[in-house]
Amino acid sequence: MIELTSATKHYDTLAAVEDVSFSVKTGEYFALLGPNGAGKTTIVRMLLDFTRPTSGRLSIGGLPSTQAAARLGVGYLPENFHIQPYLSGRQYLERCADLLGMGRSEATDECRRMIELIGMQGREHSLAGTYSKGMLQRFGLGGALLGHPKLLILDEPTSGLDPIGIREIRLLLETLKKDGMTILLNSHLLSEVEKICDSAAIINQGRLLVKDTISSIATDGDTLEDVFIRLVRG
Amino acid sequence: MSRPQALPPILKIGRFTLKDHVRQKSFIVMFLIGAAFVFFTRSCYQGDYLVNGQMLGAGSVAGGIAKMSFHTIAIGMMLLAALLAMRAFSHDRDHGMQACILAKPITRTQYVMGKVLGLWILALACMFILHVIVFFIMALRVKAFMPAFLAASLLCSLNLMFVVISVLVLSLCMSDFVAFIAVMAVTVISFVSEGIHALHQSQMLDAIALPQGAVSQADVTWTTVMYYLWPKLSGLQITAASLIDHGWSGGWADLYPLVNIFAYCLILLALLLWRFRGEEII
Repeated sequence: MIELTSATKHYDTLAAVEDVSFSVKTGEYFALLGPNGAGKTTIVRMLLDFTRPTSGRLSIGGLPSTQAAARLGVGYLPENFHIQPYLSGRQYLERCADLLGMGRSEATDECRRMIELIGMQGREHSLAGTYSKGMLQRFGLGGALLGHPKLLILDEPTSGLDPIGIREIRLLLETLKKDGMTILLNSHLLSEVEKICDSAAIINQGRLLVKDTISSIATDGDTLEDVFIRLVRG
Repeated sequence: MSRPQALPPILKIGRFTLKDHVRQKSFIVMFLIGAAFVFFTRSCYQGDYLVNGQMLGAGSVAGGIAKMSFHTIAIGMMLLAALLAMRAFSHDRDHGMQACILAKPITRTQYVMGKVLGLWILALACMFILHVIVFFIMALRVKAFMPAFLAASLLCSLNLMFVVISVLVLSLCMSDFVAFIAVMAVTVISFVSEGIHALHQSQMLDAIALPQGAVSQADVTWTTVMYYLWPKLSGLQITAASLIDHGWSGGWADLYPLVNIFAYCLILLALLLWRFRGEEII
């Protein structure tokens, strides 16, 4: 589903990502782990063609990430997600449905389904300016899930959420796993990653340190957190 | 799996752009001030005007004031178009709309074209509505029907396209406010140079400045070249206004400003698309 071959991104003299290669299979729940500034978000941004790699190749579903068609069937929830304050959550979802090319009746049905899925019935008509961080995050996830995407890219989906919100997002992602969706999860919350992901890559200072299944990374009674700290501290 | 598309992505983004601006209070206030200004001029169309001791006819009064209103609205709308365009990209970026749109299977070209289209249609609609108000005031108060007035309005909308595209291009290279000021400076220079050129061409000035018997020489200098190459915003507006009093000759002098601004729009649009391709999406 996702393939990175020697992906490198330099900002002047700073190497944000250096020769990173890995692949994510269809239906896999994959976590991209690393401390702040490790290059996780840069990888996500290169995959979505938000920034061009200095060298290397990135592809989604066999198509180069520079092609708009590669983003067909991709849902994305950015870090620090926000909606224009003058739009309601429903209007935001309707815009997303419109951009995905849905007809009016299909968009209405899909938005209704999504509002139920994210548990925002009764608040969908309120303006985004009145939403809490958790509510915004749910609508962001709803926008990413519209149209049954095959691949979901989540950049720090639990950032700023309280423990209840984090748990709700985890339960939702576990539900989606049954549908065979592929997920690329960029997160700091190692305990949550350990609970829901099949495999992970640990990145530090733009370099890939390890990429394997969670069970292979966390062995001999170590938790993912133990391994992460050991690898990052060198 | 492909779905039947209700509208092409460019039109959808254009519609979002239009809706986003119409929702803003500052836009509504600016438009209402413009409409109120045009409405309050209605009493100017009737009255006794005395010029050089001669009473002016109702038709020439209406025509003169209509042209004045036409120019004032057209200039005001260029200002509004620049104000609307200057924060178009940064507004989308700050509200996460750019990332939301470009994470979908939509190309950067479609996004930029949608923004240009939305802003241009919004500015054009505002200008056209104000011109329609003037048209109806003339029709109702002095019974002067001037359909050419509306055609002139549409022709003048090419100036708005120029302003929108140039502000968008410059806002990618410099701060939004500096981009706005730069385009306004281009507009002011266009109007001032047109005035200087008209003065230079005037026979009255020749008669005052040149000694008796001397012949004015039309030498090609760099200022002349600059005058012709500079965006002919003022020229296009004058050409459009000439439709109102049937002064349009259809000659090269009338067509040149149109060609000039159209060429600028194409060049700037190509530059905008090229520049946005390398833009980092946040």
